[in-house]
Amino acid sequence: MTSNEWVPDACAVVGIGTTEYTRASGRSVTSLAAEAVLDALRDAGLSTSDVDGFVRSDYDEVAPVALADALGIDDISYWGQTGAGGAGPCGMVGQAVAAIRSGQASTVVVYRALNGRSGRRLGKGVSVAGGVGGGSTMLELFSPYGVTSPGQFFAMLARRQMEVNGLSPDALAEIALVSRRRANANPAAQMYARELTREDYYASRMISDPLRLFDFCLETDGAAAVVVTSAERAADLAQPPALIRSVAQATGQRIGPGQMYPVLMSESLDQLSSKRTGERLFERAGLSPSDVDVAQLYDCFTITVVHQLVDYGFTTLGDVSDFVLGGALELDGALPINTAGGQLSEGYIHGMNHILEGVRQIRGTSTSQVPGAQVSLVTSAPPPGGSALLLVSA
Amino acid sequence: MSSQEQTVDAPSTNALGVEVGLRPVVDDHDTRGWFEAAAQGRLCIQECAGCAAQQWPPRPLCRGCHGTELVWREVPGRGHVHTWTVVTHQINPSFPVPYTVVLVDVVPREGDAPVRFLGHLAGAPALEVGTPLDVTFVALEDDVTLPNWVLAEQPSTR
Repeated sequence: MTSNEWVPDACAVVGIGTTEYTRASGRSVTSLAAEAVLDALRDAGLSTSDVDGFVRSDYDEVAPVALADALGIDDISYWGQTGAGGAGPCGMVGQAVAAIRSGQASTVVVYRALNGRSGRRLGKGVSVAGGVGGGSTMLELFSPYGVTSPGQFFAMLARRQMEVNGLSPDALAEIALVSRRRANANPAAQMYARELTREDYYASRMISDPLRLFDFCLETDGAAAVVVTSAERAADLAQPPALIRSVAQATGQRIGPGQMYPVLMSESLDQLSSKRTGERLFERAGLSPSDVDVAQLYDCFTITVVHQLVDYGFTTLGDVSDFVLGGALELDGALPINTAGGQLSEGYIHGMNHILEGVRQIRGTSTSQVPGAQVSLVTSAPPPGGSALLLVSA
Repeated sequence: MSSQEQTVDAPSTNALGVEVGLRPVVDDHDTRGWFEAAAQGRLCIQECAGCAAQQWPPRPLCRGCHGTELVWREVPGRGHVHTWTVVTHQINPSFPVPYTVVLVDVVPREGDAPVRFLGHLAGAPALEVGTPLDVTFVALEDDVTLPNWVLAEQPSTR
């Protein structure tokens, strides 16, 4: 007899793997993906012959079947895909869980690979002879006005919060600085050797007011992958399992057509899909925000972190500046975040690297370990519909 | 910073027009009616012929009753700034910086929640949440008309 209820702790992340994060990999994305997957399998104490499923991001140029082929895996019984883009990774783990729980696969690899700096650069904008938009993209309502990259979208969100709810520019700066401090302790972070001071932050060029250079995440060539299997299986493998207490996808009322920009036309910009994602996530887990020991919050921009601090229930829109400036995000604060440096300073693997760090915090192996961390939150990008994950120690 | 050196009356070299901007696709099945109305000097949103619900942005069917007969209903040409950004870093050659993207609230009918449109202003004019704007219809090349917004000369009556 099967139930349609969510079952906590039925699956676990048992392996994490990554390539180096660089500005120019000099390799194909398939090569990057394969390396990350092999690294994750080695970490798990498994081999390619154990893998029977793959889940990719809808933005990934490496198709699941092609990756199986590259790894010499001749038969896989499940492959899935979700997104959009950076909103995907936690939802991708959710698909792995669904595949395992439905009996469609036993060991599923979730991956993301991109030449984000040397290859096609995300957010570069559109220029199309014959007109921009059409085909249900909705871009014809945005691009003609000069909205050509996510920075402008998030800049408008930041401006609204500054005008209406007193968001302080210092709070954005602090998020960038905290991320950099964590990266400075992480030899694998792209910004490991580069310190960032408050003066550096304010001296950096304004890109789309009020967001400056250091409010934007990095552009990275690299790949990251995780191995998901059942909790029973996990108990016998090489690493302490990071049990998947819950996973959730949600749009809330921020749903819209197209991809991301139409969120600007939704009822309120005070709240993103992360609000409903958090509610669903904590409800399934039987936990609340105060139970979270450490969080990896999707950080394409500093303002994205601000919105999630509020939406996931850690603070309010009116209090978030004080919350951040009071040291809450530091290692000894109420909510340490992005402990490997995040996408602002570790590397931008479109949200996948946050899952790896969330697992490290459960294992106790982070370069900025939160002592005794037992509940580890990971989020993926909010707009237009987001996802999130709660990992717990066994 | 260069954006703060711009005066409100910056020369219109980066105002939306033939030289500045990206041409939209105007014959998409779901959005073509908006551009057709704009060509007639009307700012419109969708209204369901079946249940009279209004929706914006446009969809292929009514989100409420799933009706597929949707008409274009004019909304007032007065809006107010909801938020904005001043783009100062050159990204797209079709949009010379600095320029301002505005997100504009328009109340379709009294008592309705506002709908939002994008707008493009040259330079970095002084703005606040609530600054009034009036719609203008910009003729781009190839008979494409794009609604845009200008700072209102008369304040709104509330």
